[in-house]
Amino acid sequence: MLDKLTDPALVRRWGGEIPVRHRYTPGLAGEAFFTALRDRGVLLGSRCEACEYIYVPCRLFCERCFAELTADTEVGPGGTLESFAIGYVDVEGEPLDEPVTVGLVMPDGADAVLFHFIVEQGEEPLEIGMRVEVVLRPPGERTASILDIVGFQPAAG
Amino acid sequence: MTGKRVAVVGAGMTRFVRRAQETGKELAWEAARAALDSCELTLGDVDAVCLGTAPDAFDGVHMKGEYLSDGCGALGKPFIRTYVGGGSGVFVGIQGWYSVASGMFDVALVVAEEKMSSCQPHPQGAFLTIFDNVLERPLEPNLLWIFALEMNRYMHAYGLDKRDIAAVAVKNKRNAADHPAALLGQADITVEDVLASETLAWPVQRLDVSPISDGAVAVVLASEDVAAKITDQPVWIQGVGWNLDTAYWTNRDLVYPEYVENAARMAYAMAGVTEPRKQIHVAEPYDPFDYKELHHLEGLQLFDRGKAPEASRDGVLNRDGDLPSCPSGGLLGVGNPIAAAGLMKIAELFWQLRGEAGARQVPGTPERGVAQAWGDLMQVGTVVVMGTEPPDGVGGAPPRGGRSAPSARSARLRAPAPADPASLPVIQTPPLAAGGRPLSEAGFRSAVGAVEHAVDARYAWDTGVAISTYLRGLQSGRILARECDECERVLVPPRMFCERCFRPTDRWTDVSQTGTVQTFSICHVSWDMHPLDMPELPAVIAIDGTDGGLLHKLGRISPDDVEVGLAVEAVWKPGAERTGSILDIAYFRPRGEP
Repeated sequence: MLDKLTDPALVRRWGGEIPVRHRYTPGLAGEAFFTALRDRGVLLGSRCEACEYIYVPCRLFCERCFAELTADTEVGPGGTLESFAIGYVDVEGEPLDEPVTVGLVMPDGADAVLFHFIVEQGEEPLEIGMRVEVVLRPPGERTASILDIVGFQPAAG
Repeated sequence: MTGKRVAVVGAGMTRFVRRAQETGKELAWEAARAALDSCELTLGDVDAVCLGTAPDAFDGVHMKGEYLSDGCGALGKPFIRTYVGGGSGVFVGIQGWYSVASGMFDVALVVAEEKMSSCQPHPQGAFLTIFDNVLERPLEPNLLWIFALEMNRYMHAYGLDKRDIAAVAVKNKRNAADHPAALLGQADITVEDVLASETLAWPVQRLDVSPISDGAVAVVLASEDVAAKITDQPVWIQGVGWNLDTAYWTNRDLVYPEYVENAARMAYAMAGVTEPRKQIHVAEPYDPFDYKELHHLEGLQLFDRGKAPEASRDGVLNRDGDLPSCPSGGLLGVGNPIAAAGLMKIAELFWQLRGEAGARQVPGTPERGVAQAWGDLMQVGTVVVMGTEPPDGVGGAPPRGGRSAPSARSARLRAPAPADPASLPVIQTPPLAAGGRPLSEAGFRSAVGAVEHAVDARYAWDTGVAISTYLRGLQSGRILARECDECERVLVPPRMFCERCFRPTDRWTDVSQTGTVQTFSICHVSWDMHPLDMPELPAVIAIDGTDGGLLHKLGRISPDDVEVGLAVEAVWKPGAERTGSILDIAYFRPRGEP
């Protein structure tokens, strides 16, 4: 049968990588979303009339019925916390200096959730179903990025 | 064959562009929607979705099949992504065929997408790990090498004139001038233009190569039960075939694509094609490089070995020739968004066999065509035969299952087939989607919301039993091979099992340090297409006394003096500098030179 290596020192390992990086452009719908976020500070969605469903971020097409959509609907800035989690370790498994809270927020008027940070938490514990609102960077600091949104914070009152 | 007969009933595509403004999802939707519109079906009529798309590293999206699924119309439906490298575009048509032929589904939407422009600095980087990690990557190979090496071997075997090969690029770019989706159509290009273009990896020049592209194509497949309700001009899939050569590309016959022949014979047998040269009226062979079209036409049994270049020269392959080949303009002219380009060949046969190809229409009334693609590490052949008549010898109703809710179907599919096909709606929708909007380099660099990312992943490849020993042999200045007693081959690179006999190989043997140049290239560019100061001389070297060969570089010889058949010997690094690597052989040089 096959020869067996019994001395682990004889096992050679060869290192390497795939030397590529990527530049992703956000496409037709994505450009509309990020432009509105940067310039007007609003969350743009797309309404499919046939499916009675509002996507956020906006989309070029409805994945349910294949209709062409436009970026025709503003959603938020308030919303509902649909779920959240608290991370204590980084991608390598090392402890974080500060835990990070992420959540799924359904902006008012939308049928889909956004994934983002939950920030500016007060004394009250987070609860699924609670009201939250978007926190944006100041207009002059926005770069047409998902990070133009700082996160969502519990709504005042 | 048993099972349902399957027809292509609709097709659509985006433009092929150097760089698209749309995301991959958006491109897929544009093509899929155009295909459904072309036969007036809705997403509710689709029972299953098949996607063909090449490496995840192009789009830069891991699990690209899942990522593209919504643009393919796969939400809530049976969905599968297939991937056989460049062969994917035709293979996904085969995947769609057996989804329907099995009786599982009446209507399958088949989509192929590629967005290569995301990949920086050059999409070739996504391919580097297709070379053997331990034995070939240390040589810093360029993807162009394998094509240049194969092209040189093909030219050498038959004494071919580069002009006859360049004529293929001219034909296809001229044909593409009539294709509304084409990236590189050029009605006035000449052979001189191709021969004057930059030499990348001799004998491959810039205009011998198809361009990097973004784009998507989709076709709709329907079973014999519903095809007549959808169109009075179904184009039937009469035969399918696919086949794979050895994974050791340096051990392959680089002159003749036997795997294409095997795939073609499988498809022809199923289609009842006994005389392909008479029975095939239009061909769409895979043409990422001009010589490949010729290579593949021979594998498809449409020309004798080594005779396709003559046909190219004599105009036989022209749109008005005896065997129109790539009337679409092919990858060389329309563009090469890998999987999408393959499926474009199936779409082109659909349009040609229906007489809907417009300015690209081949003369007469073609009744049967063949589409073919090729891929993986240039070893897979995928073939589809299509015709205006349904194939014979099929029938019988296998058990049903896995259907989506019939209530979602449009009224046309729920009603019986019309007695008079003329009562079917007249299809007005042009098959070309609005998509594939070109994005300039400046637009790409300044695009709103663009994000850059590099995957921070490194690999440590275990060299394994055979190669560990091989590398230790190299360190001690020996080339070791494995013998297989059953097929009596001496295998280089060595392996612990014989892939032909599928049994353990029998023993190690010390083999010669001399060999013969099987083929070579003179490469002027790096993998990311930067010019090299000094050209490199990659070569496939058959080691004397073995049945194998290996990839290495030639040294101490002028590029002008290299020829196929040259006797060479290994030049070793000094013993103290050897590390147990393929680079312990510094290079191969002409034998007996001082």
